Parts: sequence; structure tokens; C-alpha cells
Amino acid sequence: MSRLLALMLIVVPLFAQTPEPQAPKPASPPAEAAKTDTTAAAEAPSPVPSAESWLTGSIDVGYRWRTDVGGSLDTYRSIVNLGSGPKLLGADFTLTDPKHRAFDQIRVRANGWGDEPYQTVHLDAKKSKLYDFSADYRDMAYFNFLPSYADPLMSRGIVLNEQSFDTRRRLASFQLDLLPGNWFIPYFAYDRDSGSGTGATTFVTDTNEFPVPNTLRDQTNLYRGGVRFELRRFHATIEQGGTTFKDDQSVFQGSGSTNFGNVATPIFGQTTDLTNLLAAYGVRGTSVYSKGLFTASATPWLDVYGQFLYSQPDTNVNYQQTATGNLLLQSQLLFYTSQQYLVSAAAKLPHTSGSLGAEIRPLRRVRIVQSWLTDRLHSAGSAASTQTLAGTGASEQMAALLASSLVTNYSQEEVDLFFDATPKLTLRGGYRYVWGDANDAVLPPEGLMSSDQAKLRRNVGIGGVTYHPTQKITIRTDAEVASSGGAYFRTSLYDYQKVHAQARYQALTTLSLAADFTLLDNNNPVPGVNYDYRSQQESLSLFWSPAGGKMVDFQGSYTRSTLHSDIGYLIPQTLTPQTSLYRDNAHTATALFNVKLPHVEGIAPKLSAGGSFFISSGSRATSYYQPLATLWLPINKKISLFADWRYYGYGEAFYLYEGFRTNLVTTGLRFTR
Amino acid sequence: MRSIKLAVLLLIAACVTTRAQTPATLPAGYIGSETCKICHEDIYNAFGKSPHQAIETNAKRGWMGRGCESCHGAAQKHTESASAADIRNPAKLVAAAADKICLTCHLNQPTHVGRLESSHAKDQVSCTSCHKVHANGPNGLVNRKPAAINEQCASCHTNVWAQFQRPNHHKLPEGAMSCVDCHNPHGSIRPAMAQTFAANEPGCLNCHGDKRGPFTFEHGPVRFEGCASCHEPHGSANPRMLVRQEVRIVCLECHASLPSVNTTGTIGVVPPSFHDLRSPRFQNCTVCHQKVHGSYVDRNLLR
Repeated sequence: MSRLLALMLIVVPLFAQTPEPQAPKPASPPAEAAKTDTTAAAEAPSPVPSAESWLTGSIDVGYRWRTDVGGSLDTYRSIVNLGSGPKLLGADFTLTDPKHRAFDQIRVRANGWGDEPYQTVHLDAKKSKLYDFSADYRDMAYFNFLPSYADPLMSRGIVLNEQSFDTRRRLASFQLDLLPGNWFIPYFAYDRDSGSGTGATTFVTDTNEFPVPNTLRDQTNLYRGGVRFELRRFHATIEQGGTTFKDDQSVFQGSGSTNFGNVATPIFGQTTDLTNLLAAYGVRGTSVYSKGLFTASATPWLDVYGQFLYSQPDTNVNYQQTATGNLLLQSQLLFYTSQQYLVSAAAKLPHTSGSLGAEIRPLRRVRIVQSWLTDRLHSAGSAASTQTLAGTGASEQMAALLASSLVTNYSQEEVDLFFDATPKLTLRGGYRYVWGDANDAVLPPEGLMSSDQAKLRRNVGIGGVTYHPTQKITIRTDAEVASSGGAYFRTSLYDYQKVHAQARYQALTTLSLAADFTLLDNNNPVPGVNYDYRSQQESLSLFWSPAGGKMVDFQGSYTRSTLHSDIGYLIPQTLTPQTSLYRDNAHTATALFNVKLPHVEGIAPKLSAGGSFFISSGSRATSYYQPLATLWLPINKKISLFADWRYYGYGEAFYLYEGFRTNLVTTGLRFTR
Repeated sequence: MRSIKLAVLLLIAACVTTRAQTPATLPAGYIGSETCKICHEDIYNAFGKSPHQAIETNAKRGWMGRGCESCHGAAQKHTESASAADIRNPAKLVAAAADKICLTCHLNQPTHVGRLESSHAKDQVSCTSCHKVHANGPNGLVNRKPAAINEQCASCHTNVWAQFQRPNHHKLPEGAMSCVDCHNPHGSIRPAMAQTFAANEPGCLNCHGDKRGPFTFEHGPVRFEGCASCHEPHGSANPRMLVRQEVRIVCLECHASLPSVNTTGTIGVVPPSFHDLRSPRFQNCTVCHQKVHGSYVDRNLLR
């Protein structure tokens, strides 16, 4: 009774503070209100007081040791490429300015610095209603030297990948949005993509090909700017951009050495060789592009979407090549000792794309989605070349002018009907028609063919079910069944069935299960093609987190995949029919087990163990193991010590010499604020 | 029993108290976010750190002081009954209905221009499957770190994630890339919800600019069907992420020297090649036809 009395003492004075009641205004949707109240007061302060530190985050630094790589170091570098040394393994921190002067918040994250193959850093800075800025930089190592790849000399015991490279790509991206949250948002961006390094390639002549070193250097700059209009019922984005591009690849062989190439047998009594080479590509390109996007909530039952995209990149090329040696022009049975080959070429690629669609909601449970899409690409190129050959006492000059074109006009139209049969069941049915034509030509003709053309005609039936019987279970399936009257390529989708199904089940509050199934069955029964392709994957994953993961949790997945492909071709030298068979039967599993170990002198260590494996049989039988274990020792609230072990083991059934195995151990500290 | 009565009385008192303090212009049926806070304080506080807080504080958006009810609907009945049945819970709605709430504000933004082409939208994957509406701390409403993005996508696309465990793969498991570097989860004009470069070119060119061209002599499949004609972008046991175990097999399946009888034609089948595939020289086509993505100077893609 005394409690009720106390309650009354609290409540009664509060009633006394109640202001005069006013007539309530009808509720308006937020968008509508946004239009009617564009001059309203500025933001009120957040109801949540900020008592956070101006700097929060963590940084991981450490040192990695790599044991000697057993097996193929080149394959290891092509696939893993992690090395020893001190590393900035990761950083993630946030700066907050409580006074909101130049910025509200800056977030920075970085990953893998210190001569690592994948070095990234990302920054986001924002100030409410004034700007959003993001910057991203990645420095990626591209190394590829697989001993089994592009090695025509393997039978002679020479391991030399004639298409290898050791390059780095550096990607930078900056974007500035002004007045975020406003109805009018201008933005500007700059992206840069550059690559440089060295590699091996081949210098190809009529009768021989010579492995030679090359240097690679290319750069693309993309500048763009635009404005977004975001209104109550309508949005439009207009963007204009452009690129500059250059590619200065060069291929060379210094004088003083003789390269006998891949052909050791004499031709017309002579062996061919290359004693000096310099070939340089000078490629310069530009492009402009335009982008127009819009969405509109035309009425409460109709949304409209559309986009128009246009780009027109072009390139101009000056190629210069000088070569000396004993070389053969096969068409004229002419041996020559020096060659100069000059090409001046240009290409242009106007490319127009667009889409238009609508979502119509005629009834509460029914939605109709209609969309149309087109993509039109018309490439045209020309090349003028001059070749001067000099032999013993004679020289010959040949000039050629070639024109090329590549055209494709692709369109598709689709209509889908969605029906919410019950609050737990949604059915979907639809139809898509795809059509297009393509043409590829080079003039004047050479050999048997200079022009190819094809038509694309495809009818696709679409169906899907989403079933959500309880909060704990979700099942999604969708399927496509297609019949084609033409396709661009022998291996293109033709008569196909595609099925995708997913199920999720929250069995317990601590245990969730998920299953994923995909199937693609594609057949092209046209005589001369006889393509039979079937790919199937089944996955099962689980996440177990007893007691909210306070002591232990586990997540794991297992995937079984099979791929079967048969397609006919003629063996070129005998023109006898043959079937290309490709098989891939794979098992893949991933797992990660986290456990908090018993306290030792106030320290609560945490152990994570798991990894992945991939084992396949078939056309390229391969095994790849990546087990790992990490131990965390929090020294205090701000510093943790960690030690990480990883093993990489790779093996192939057919190319045994490509296998490798190695251990990596990393130790370091995490500083947290 | 007595304590229950006391709790109910306290709740009523608190509601009345808060009602007295909220703006007097609340429409009928609305109670204001401060009232929601009484029972849902943790969500309310988290919401305060969310970008969605702008709904609560910006009068321009029309829901000032009623941020909770902008998605959950008028809550007066719910406060009176304290029953979950009397409040709209977007998490329990069918995906289209939940999305409609989000799209009330977000439809008219460039992010959603590809929505009709999005398989997520078609498969009833609602916005809240990926976005946390109330809070995600400083990360905003959705994961931003590559590793976290990948984990989120992999939780549904398990078999795609399995492909990244193959030896030759894009560097997602290493945390150097994320799924959204290549795919736009909201939909795209390009197949497979792929990102774009310079308006309508394939997103692959964001990183592989040296393959962009335009080339004087193009290789048709690259333009017509994209990189996936020859490469498995997620991962493969084959070198260079090729779709077949050896280069020559990739090439021969199209350049089959076997004309089809289809009247609509097929590109690249003829002329027949007379290379002797028994010779190691001809077992890797790209040893000679090295500019397989397109050549600036040679019609046969030799240089």
C-alpha cells in the first residue's frame, strides 16, 4: 500500500504538467512530409549523449616467419605469396570530433602492409550535411609462374612458363559527396588503376616462337562527376565522366645472345633464331561516358525505374618492332635477317545500354514487375602496317591495311508476377525473352573466313517460391527453364534448366543450419555442337554458439560440387571428331572453432582453430589444405598478444612438380583503444 | 501478483509522464520515441548511433521525435496492451512488405535503380537481411570491412564461398577484396548483378584496366559474354582461373572446326585450324595467340 501511495505521489504532479490537448494532425508518410516541410528547423541534438573517446580502434603489428617452401616455390608464389618479415597486419580505428569542426568522424582501416601481396587502406570521413569522403588504395601483387602452364618445352625437360608475369597493380579511388542528405547532392570522383612489372612472353614469327622478357606498364585514370536529385517521388542522377589510358608494354631481347625458340628442327634445311629484338606498344586511349538514372514513385501502386548509359572509349596505337636473326616468311619461302614492322592502329567502341521497368501493385497481394533492357556495342578498328624485310642482298617491303568491326545488339524483356499467397508464402512466375545479333568481321578477308555472325533467341520460363513457415525457417527456391533458337557461341547457354534453393533453420537459439543447392543443366543439341553441361553444388553449413558464444562457438560448412561437360570438336590435324570431356568432382570444407581457455593468472586466453580443405578429382585433380590456429592472450585491456600458425599444402595428381607445402607462423601485438 | 500490478502501474505512469513531455503535435495513435525508450532502451540508445537517427532528429523528414514509429507504425495501442501483436514488426512481414517500408524513403536513390534486375529482390531477400536498421555502431547499417562483408554474403551463398577455397581465386578469403567489389547487391544492368566501370563496361575493368581496349582486333567472347566465358571468377583448380584444365581445351570448345548446322550461326567455329595438337608447341594456344583478350595490332592475336 505504501508503494502505491508513493506511485501516486510521482504520477499526480506529472499529470499537472500536461499541456493543453491539441487536435492531432493526420500521419503523413516520411517522404511526403519531407516535401511539405523543406524549410523546417535544423536537426535537434541527438538524444544519446556522446561520452566516447575521440580515438577508438585497434592496430595489429607483428612478425611472420615462413619455413622453406617444399616443392614448387613458383607455384607457391602464384597462389599464396606470403613472405617473412615485420608486418602491419591490420588497423581499424575511428576518430571522432565531439565538436564537429572539420569532420564528425573519420574511419580508417588497413590490411596487410609490409611487403605483403595484398596491401589495402581505406578511409571514410564525413561531416553531417556537408560532405562524405572516401578514399581507397590497394597495392596487389600479381605473380604467376605455374610450371605446367604455357610450356611447350616441357618434353625437352625445360620448365619455362612462356606466359608468366611478376607485376603489381595499384588501385586508388577517391569520392567526395557534397551535401549528403540534401535533395541535391553533387559528387566528384577520381579513380586510378595502374600496373607495372616484368614477365615472359613470346615473340611469334611464321615458323617459330621465341620466349622473351617483357616489361608491362599501363595506367587508367577515371574522372567523374555528377549530381543526384533525390526528391519525394522522384530521383535522378546525372553523371559525366571520362578516362585516359596508356599502355607501354615492350618486348625485347638484347644483342649478344641467340634465341633458338621453341622449334629445334630445321626448316628447309635451316634453323631459325632470334639475335635481337625490340618491340614497343605505344597505346593511348581516352573515353567519355554519360550516365542517367532515375527512379520514381509515380503513384502508391506504381514505381518506375530507368537508366541510360553511354560510353565511347577509343585507342590509338603506334607499334614498332625491329628484329634480327635468321627468320622465315613462310608464305614466300623467304629467309630474312632483319625485320622492321610498324603498325599504326585505332579503335573506337561506342556502347549504349539502357533499361526501363516498372513495379505495379494492382492488389494488396499481387505485384507485377515488367522490365526491358538493351545493350548495344559497336566496335570499329583499323590498322595500317608496313613490314620491311632484309635478307642477304635483298629487301622487301609489304604494306597492309585492315579494318575490323564487332557488333552486338542484345535485348531482353521480362515480366514477373509475385503473389503473396499467405503471409508466409510468396509465389513467383515469369517469362523472359532474350534476343540479339552479333557480327565479327575483319576486312580484307584472309584464309577461309573473315566474317562471323550469329543470332540469339531465347525463351525463358521463371518460377520461384519463398516459404517462411515460422520465424525459424526460411526456404527460397527459384528456377529457370529456357529454350533457345540460337546462341552466339557453342558453349553459350542454350536449352537450360537452372535451379537455386536455399534453406535456413534456427534449430535452437544456439544452433542455426543453412543449406544451399544450385544446379545448371545446359544442352545444345544442334548437330555439330552436341553440348552437354551439368554443374551442381550442394552445401550445408552450421553455426553453433552455446551460451551466446561466451565460452565456445563453431561455424563450419561442407560443399560437394560436380561438373560434367561434353562437347564435340574436330582434331585439327586429322579432322576427326573428338569429344572434349571435362569433369570436376570436389569436396570443400571450412571450419572455425573458437574457445575461451581457462584463466591463467588473470589472463583469459582464446584459441581459434580451423581452416579449409579442397579436394577434387577429375580433369585437374587437386588438393589444397589450409589449416590454421590462432592463440590470443589479452595482457591487459589495451594490449593482446597473438600467435598464428597456418599451413598451406597444395598438390596435383597430374602435375606433381607443381605441389608445395609450407608453414607460416606470425606473432604480434594488438593495441586497442 | 502484487508486483505485477505495481509494474503495470509504473508503466502507465511512465507513459503518461512521457506523453506529457513529447511534442504536443503528435498525430493520433502516435506516442513518440521517448515512450518507446521506456521499454526498449537498449534499442533506443543503439538507434541514437545509427545513421537512421536522422529520422528522429531532422524535422525535414517528417518523423521528428517519432523515429521508431516511422517503421513500426503508430504505437499507442501497443503501449496500452504491451502486446507484440499490436505493433508492426518488419522482421515478421513478408519481404515485399518490409522492403516497402524501407523504400518509402530509400526508393528514390540511385542505389536502387537496378532493383528490378536484382535477384535479391526477386527472391524476396529483404533489406533487413543485410542491413541492421537500429544500429551497427560506427559501421553504419551494414558491414563495411571486406572480411565482414564476405562473411555475411557467405552465410547464404555457401557454395560460392566454397569456390574461393580453391587454389586459384580472387583474394577474398585474404580480406583484400569483398563480394561487393564485383557485385552490386541492389541490382545491376549487367548479368549476375555485376558492378560496372565507366557507366556500362564490365566491373572487372575496375582492376584489370589493361584488358579494357578497345582493341583493333577484338576477341568476340570477351565483349559478348564477358570474362566468365573463359574464367571462373570465384575460383578454380585450373590455372588462371580458367574454366577448363588446359588452355587448348578452353579454346577448342569454341574453335572446334566443326560448323554447326544451326541457321542462326555460331561465332568462332571456322576456319579450321591445322595445328598438330600432338606437338607441345600447339598445346597451349596462348603461347602464340598471346593477346587472347584482344590485340591492338594483329588480327590473329599474335602480338
